[in-house]
Amino acid sequence: MTERANGAPLDPSPDLSVSLGPIVLDHPLVDASGTFDLLEYARRYDGDYFADFPYAAYVPKTVTVDARTGNPAPRVTETPSGMINAIGLENPGVRAWIARLGEWAHLRQPVIVSVGGNEPEQYAAVVAALDEYLDAAAPGAAPSIQGYELNISCPNVSSGLQIGADRAATAEVVGACREATSRFLLAKLTPNVRDVTEIGAAALDAGADGLSLINTLKALVLDRDTLKPFLGNRTGGLCGPAVKPVALRMVAEVAQAFPDTPIVGMGGVATGLDALEFIACGATAVGVGAANFTAFEAPQRILAELREELAARGFASAADARGVALSS
Amino acid sequence: MTEAGHTHGDHSQWAETSHCRVAAVRHFGAFAVLELIAPRVARRAAPGQFVMVTVPGGGSFLRRPISLFAAHADRISLLVEARGGGTERLTRLDVGDAVEVAGPLGSAFPTEDVSNALLVGGGIGCAPLQYLADELSAAGAHVTACFGFRDFRSARAAGAFTIDRLWVATEDGSVGRAGTVLHLLAALDVSPGTTVYACGPTPMVAAVQRWTFAEGLHGYVSLEAHMACGTGSCHGCVVDTARGKLRVCAEGPVFRLDEVTP
Repeated sequence: MTERANGAPLDPSPDLSVSLGPIVLDHPLVDASGTFDLLEYARRYDGDYFADFPYAAYVPKTVTVDARTGNPAPRVTETPSGMINAIGLENPGVRAWIARLGEWAHLRQPVIVSVGGNEPEQYAAVVAALDEYLDAAAPGAAPSIQGYELNISCPNVSSGLQIGADRAATAEVVGACREATSRFLLAKLTPNVRDVTEIGAAALDAGADGLSLINTLKALVLDRDTLKPFLGNRTGGLCGPAVKPVALRMVAEVAQAFPDTPIVGMGGVATGLDALEFIACGATAVGVGAANFTAFEAPQRILAELREELAARGFASAADARGVALSS
Repeated sequence: MTEAGHTHGDHSQWAETSHCRVAAVRHFGAFAVLELIAPRVARRAAPGQFVMVTVPGGGSFLRRPISLFAAHADRISLLVEARGGGTERLTRLDVGDAVEVAGPLGSAFPTEDVSNALLVGGGIGCAPLQYLADELSAAGAHVTACFGFRDFRSARAAGAFTIDRLWVATEDGSVGRAGTVLHLLAALDVSPGTTVYACGPTPMVAAVQRWTFAEGLHGYVSLEAHMACGTGSCHGCVVDTARGKLRVCAEGPVFRLDEVTP
């Protein structure tokens, strides 16, 4: 297809760049925290993966102030059109995490660090530790960490769900981190609430610069032989294509309520058209999560499809498509 | 460029990605041995490693981790048990069908300096032991295998194996000796210094581990785990080991018998 039905030439290369607050992204796609380990990909790639890094920004797996061993096995299983997980924020803790930053300091893309915790002070401690390290780091010694995504919405730890389901607790976490850093702050919202815009408002009022959503839907899968909960953590978080319509609805609600706010929309994105739907619902950028588990090539494929979908619909840019589903 | 052009579509810089064709299928009840033309996998593979298989035709979101049953020249074979919808569709693949695999993945069974090997498998966990037996035998090792199955239906898998000294037990006594692999092991005259290789359900692995230590032997185990990515990103498949929590897909699936607590 080289031209549209009316004979106008089809722009084969729409402008994909978007601005997520102060962070300029080459295109709208980022990885969803916890689904994409940069160093694992790099070591499996025949070439310079850092030169070919497919996402516009890198969101690593959530970091907490102390090391966490995570939940007992089993932690994952497939569900209809998706999967459930209860990893439990396994991570080495912020000090050990910082010690390995040199291994990927040459990543060109901006990094948004996902931060977890049980108490506001723990979130703020991670942010402060990273800010302190970055401010003292020699040029080129650390990746370009430009912001934080506050994971107040993990359904698989004792506290995460409560923080992101409670306006006051959300405001406390965001407020504590706002005091600790001047970097870009995203609050990652849980879908397990009555009204996602109430939590979004609490986060923005407390100083968040933007919102990302959705985290996983709290869910239960049984072992169909024993009729007991399958996961070691009993419940888990549902993700994958099954949750996309829920995610689109919530992104649209948030985008309508806070039209000028940077939004990272995610939930079940598996194709470029899925990503375009999130943009149409008001997302500035789009997170790709469980689709990373289906093929190494998923991000490149989804990006190529997004470019084609924008061009085929006559959008000159990704920004032009933002929110088109919202106009009445 | 790396190994481009060997198989249609394998032009990416992901050496672990292979677009394969099914070259042969053999059925054994609910089991199937799929032989795939997969030169990029076969060239790099070692016994104990696995591949993530994309279930063709949609309907399965995640890939399925399947251990290598054999690898020769440009071919790999997978022994698949129809357990759920995804694996059931894999067993129904036909000659010429396209299938995408990622691999070889994970750690391999150490095979150097092994003169006597005892391979202990349970159920579908026997699958990686054929490839291991092939390699050990080619290296001149004396290989004995003891396989346990639950019943006649699951023992159909034994028909896929070509191991000279292979002893089979079934819990219901329908095939081979009545009982478990432990009954087979008790009847063996095991040489000192024998290396034990185990793969199977957790209770079997635990029992084989106790037996191995009681006999003063050492060995290795390939662990099964539920996986999402299979390639190190999701931390869905971790197990407790003497080295802390490790990923079955990346640090495993093969571990030393004395470092795991099944």
